[in-house]
This record gives sequence, C-alpha cells and structure tokens, in this order.
Amino acid sequence: MNHLSEEELIEHYYGESGRKAGIDAHLRACGTCSRAYEALSRDLAGIPQVAPPARDAAYGDQVWQSLRNSLPVYSAPASKWRRLTPLRILAFATACALILAAAFIAGRQWERRREPTLAGNTPQARERVVLFVLGDHLERSERLLVELKNADDSGTIAAPLRSEAQDLLTANRLYRASATQAGDPVLAAALDHLERALVEVANGPDDLSNADLARIQKEMNTDGLLFEVRVLRSRVQAQQQGGTTRSKGVSI
Amino acid sequence: MRTDDHSILRAILAGDKEAYGTLVARHSQSVFRVAFRVTGNEEDAEEVVQEAFLKGYQRLPGFESRSDFGTWIYRIAVNCSLDLVKARKVEADYRVADDADPKEMEVQVADTSAGPDRLLLSREIGARQKAAMKRLTPTEQAAFILRHMEDRSTEEIAATLGIAPNAAKQAVFRAVQKLRTGLAELRVNS
Repeated sequence: MNHLSEEELIEHYYGESGRKAGIDAHLRACGTCSRAYEALSRDLAGIPQVAPPARDAAYGDQVWQSLRNSLPVYSAPASKWRRLTPLRILAFATACALILAAAFIAGRQWERRREPTLAGNTPQARERVVLFVLGDHLERSERLLVELKNADDSGTIAAPLRSEAQDLLTANRLYRASATQAGDPVLAAALDHLERALVEVANGPDDLSNADLARIQKEMNTDGLLFEVRVLRSRVQAQQQGGTTRSKGVSI
Repeated sequence: MRTDDHSILRAILAGDKEAYGTLVARHSQSVFRVAFRVTGNEEDAEEVVQEAFLKGYQRLPGFESRSDFGTWIYRIAVNCSLDLVKARKVEADYRVADDADPKEMEVQVADTSAGPDRLLLSREIGARQKAAMKRLTPTEQAAFILRHMEDRSTEEIAATLGIAPNAAKQAVFRAVQKLRTGLAELRVNS
C-alpha cells in the first residue's frame, strides 16, 4: 500500500482533494498515514486565525473621508462629435490617406499582375504582338524600297527617306538578331539583306547621283529585296489572321 | 436608488465621485481584514486600505464590468499588502543581519521558556509561529493566509496573486512545511 504524501494530506485537510472518499478510506486503513494526518491537523489547527482588530460601522466612511479629496472626478464620456479634437481629426485624416494610398498601391500591383496575363504572358498574346510589330516594320521597309526604286527620276535621295532608313535600320538590327536567336535562318537572311540596303541609304550623301543609285539598286538587288519583303509581309499577315498557324520564323 | 456595485461604478465614471464612498463603505471591512492578516500590523493594514481604494479608483476605467468589484478590490488589497510586506522584509533583513543567526535565536527562545508555566509556553508558541511565519517568502505567506485564514480556494489564491494554480498550491505546501518545521521542536518538547 502506498502511503499518502504530505501534499495529499495538506490538500485533504483544506478540502481540496479530488479523491476525498479514497483518502478517507486510506486513513482509516493505514495507521502511519492516519498518525501523520493527525499530526498535520494538530499543527494547522494550532495556527490561530488571526483576528483583526474590530472596526466599527463608521470605518468605511472614515476611509472615504480620508480619500475623497485626493480623488479626481471622472468626466462623463463626451459625445462622438465632441470627442473629435483637432489631433484626432488629423490622426483620422492621416489614417484615411494611408488607407487610400495602400488601396492605390494594391490596385496598381494587382493591375500589373493582371496585365501580363491578358496581353503578354501567354505565348499566343506575345506572338500577336511580335507579328504586329514585325508586320509594321516590313510594311515601312517595303514603302521605303518602293520609293528607292522610283527614285531614279529625281537623281537624289530625299532627307526624309534617309531619316526613315536610319530609323528602320535600328529596329531591323534588333529583329535580325532576334530571328537569328530564334533559329529562323530564312527570316534572318532576309532581314540581313534588308539591313545592308538600309545602311547604304541611311549613310548615303544627300546628292546621290543617278550612277550611285543605279549601283545601290544593282548591288542590293532592290527588286529582289522588295519581293522578299513582300513575301515575308504576306507570311506575317497570314499568321496574324490565322493565329495558330504560326511558323518558327516569327517567334522573335 | 443605486444598489449594485456596477450601477455605482457607472455613476462614478459618469462624474459622480461621491458614489465611490458607497463602495468604500461596503468593502472596507473585508479589505482591512485581509490587509491586517497579510501585514500583521494595524497601521500597515490601514495604509493598505487607503492605497487599495486609491488604486482601485485610479484603475476604474480599466475595470471590466463582468468582474465583481469586491473580488477585484480584494485582489488589489492583497497585492498592496504583499508589496508592503516585501518592503518591510527588506528593511528587516538589514536590521536582523546585525542581530543574530536563526540558531542563536532558537537558543534565546529556549531560555525564555525555561519555566513550566503554561502562559510562558503559550507565549513561546506564539513567538515561534511569528518567527516561522517570517521565514516564509511574501508569496508563501500570502498564499497560506488566503488558504488558512481567508478560506480561499487554490484557484482564488492563484487569481489574487496573479500566479498559476499549481504555483499557488505549491506556495501553500511550502508554507505549511516551513511552519511545521519551525514548530516541530515545540511539539517534541510539549
């Protein structure tokens, strides 16, 4: 039989034991624990309940009188509008501004996340953009070549034509490099051919002679180049319309 | 007519300071009783009563209306008493350090109870109990007083002292053990 610990006996003495009946039964059966409990009870009973000095009925009032002058008066809660001090209004306005700013930033972030999904994130959308830009470039190049072909009557290359050639040249370099990277040799070769013609025109003198023009047309094979560009442009247009029938060549 | 504590509290917070007097009158006896038991001194108990009601008034805006004001002010009073006991203990430690060690004190007590007179024995028991009580930590002392004299449950002691129920139970156990050890010699002699 396990004896009761002092802690259990103390708990039992103060009536806080969770198993009162079991402990009572044990104390009846176990002489050791019974003697220990008697000793504990005797000791605790010997500690007197300290009786405080009596205080009469007026004691509470005396305490209150000694306190009342040092206590402030609580002010009744003000109405909601009266509570709006300038500082609170400022804090409220600041909070509103912060909320608006946060909402604006969150909106911007949301738009940014959403935009690529709609326009540029999907391969189809990206391809549409590429085809559109490349188509536009080829169209402008074709116009330039046509003007160049018909320039034999004037004998000079007009400044706007040269400026257009310079503009197209920059874009053409990018497209050519992209076509090479994308593994489209046909497009890359055609753009390379176009680039050489654009270089000649862009860097040519203002007073280009008929002989110079004839040389450029011959060397660059302007007719052939124009044909090439037209073929490419029609291919791009077909892809723009077809959508899904894209070839490897325009995946810049 | 305002009768319950909560109505009075609402009135006080609405600006009726005088209503606090009713609460002070209603609870000052129980606050004094526990303050006296913990501090063991009438003057200290008076000081605790004033401090407890003052703190109670200052903390009224934070008082949760679900709680019972009597229990709340009682807890404040116990903690004020505990703080005072701790402060007194620090002072006493400085003084006792120059007096004598516990062994020496036992000898001194034994000398005074040399006679067979019952009154002397009773005085010695009282002195021993006081000495044993002083050896308790303030928390043990408060826990024991709340348990033994104020008849508070372990949960109530824990809530009053702001400690876990198990810590409150252990504080009572340790207090009882220390008190019994302090009185053991007398028990053998008697």
